[in-house]
Amino acid sequence: MKTAAVLVFCAALSSAGERILTAGRTSSAGALEPNSADWKSAPAVSFALQRTPLLYATDAPAALEIDSVQVQLLRGEGASFLRLEWTDKTQESFSLQPARSKRQPEQLVEQTPATNRFSDAVAVMVPKSPPADGVFPSLQMGDESHPVVLYYVDTTRGAAVMEASGRSTTKRTGQSFPAKSVYRNGRWTVTLQIPSLPSGMPLAVAVWNGTQQDRDGRKGFSVWYRTN
Amino acid sequence: MSIHQISMVLDLNKCLGCQTCTMACKKLWTDGDGMDYMYWNNVETRPGQGYPRNWDKMGGGFEDGRLRPSELPTKLDYGQAFEYNYEDRLYKGGLQAQPHEETQNGPNWDEDVGALMLGENYYFYLPRLCNHCTNPACLAACPRSAIYKREEDGIVLIDQERCEGYRYCMRACPYKKIYFNELLGKAQKCIFCYPRIEKGEVNACARQCPGRLRFVGYLDDPASAVHKLVNVYKVALGLFPEKGTEPNVFYVPPFNPPRRGNYGKSILEDPRMPMDYLLYLFGEDVIDVIRRLEAELLKAQSGGTSEVLQLLIGRDASVRYQIPKHEDLIQIQGMKKS
Repeated sequence: MKTAAVLVFCAALSSAGERILTAGRTSSAGALEPNSADWKSAPAVSFALQRTPLLYATDAPAALEIDSVQVQLLRGEGASFLRLEWTDKTQESFSLQPARSKRQPEQLVEQTPATNRFSDAVAVMVPKSPPADGVFPSLQMGDESHPVVLYYVDTTRGAAVMEASGRSTTKRTGQSFPAKSVYRNGRWTVTLQIPSLPSGMPLAVAVWNGTQQDRDGRKGFSVWYRTN
Repeated sequence: MSIHQISMVLDLNKCLGCQTCTMACKKLWTDGDGMDYMYWNNVETRPGQGYPRNWDKMGGGFEDGRLRPSELPTKLDYGQAFEYNYEDRLYKGGLQAQPHEETQNGPNWDEDVGALMLGENYYFYLPRLCNHCTNPACLAACPRSAIYKREEDGIVLIDQERCEGYRYCMRACPYKKIYFNELLGKAQKCIFCYPRIEKGEVNACARQCPGRLRFVGYLDDPASAVHKLVNVYKVALGLFPEKGTEPNVFYVPPFNPPRRGNYGKSILEDPRMPMDYLLYLFGEDVIDVIRRLEAELLKAQSGGTSEVLQLLIGRDASVRYQIPKHEDLIQIQGMKKS
């Protein structure tokens, strides 16, 4: 029943008035630099974020600490670039030693530094294929008829491509993509280089705030925006 | 619900607190990177803070069929992994061997401290591992469906491919027996030595136990010691039954002689430790278990034979372990777990 209520809630949001993200143009891969001059040609659109409803009985409610993300889109040759910028009072991004598959007998194990912290992260969700029937996928990771692709950037562990066709179906494809993340003066700026987004392709954003123990469906999310 | 359920019974009256089981497990399964603080099997002194500290008060499990809230243990709750300045001590001399950082907590921090009752100290050792519950809260909490319970033996495992390290399972487990490897970004836990079990070999912790306190077999195997101790003699109980997960690791509770010897008082009338503490750990059935064990003790003391006590002696491996190879599991017929 709760799941149904969430779906209705999301559907209502996604069918609200048309929201547009207008793209700029770039001719170089330099757009991956957060401070590249290329971004001056792309208008920034503020995506309002909502907190997801509590999905687990074990969850504590979370305040809307991050209420919006500034999103910019550039179209280049064979690729699209996204620049996402948001205010976050605390940086939850960690430097971790890689776990070794083989260790010399005299070497000490690398220690797990912490067990109860979570990384800041962001993801861009797009339909796996342009919505020919005009129906946007469910904001809860799409559905069987409308699968989605997620470009996920964990500020600790890096970028990963995921796919989903409904809640709890998210899985990593094993692929990655170029991304950069910078935290400065209380703001995150993350840039992504992803496959070309055709004009009219919808796009939604989610932000995980590590200090609020965000992960999985515990996050801030936007509704769909149509790119042009 | 699994077809068969592997299970372990631990007789707390025989535990020496030697940590041989802990080391057997550590060397076999948790000596990799990011696993420094993990003891899938640990032995803690009770009463005491436990490992991770205060795990029994953190929450988790079920209440009215819903997952109960819980804290997430911190690294310090599990305890530090100390390194010592051995090189300085050995080659420079004159220095005392010291930990490399201030010690604040360890996985066996309050060993042998216990508590006082009527001015006398009491404690016992409680070895702990994943309970491979019939109704695992970790499995219910995982939004990735990464945790599963094997039909063939009821062992609860985490699919390391599906796990995304969200740690809902860590919070949900009322026994706090799931750990987070931050270097891998994965939750990890006791696997009940399933590669050994599949071949008919007993778990490493049980095999190495010098106290011979562990019994391993299938609860639904009428010939197994665990079946007899849990379902027939009814002298073994799970920890914190009120948490609702139906653990499949059981304990024969401590039943020390009466505090002041044989002055005509029973164990329950003159206990060496507060019965309230055993009630806290094992629930109200512990009183009946103590009564049963005391009756068996009296039977043996008066020249009779107690099948229960004979079994609990666990003279050799064939008495303690009944683990058919997986290919022979089909042969186990008979009663379900009651």
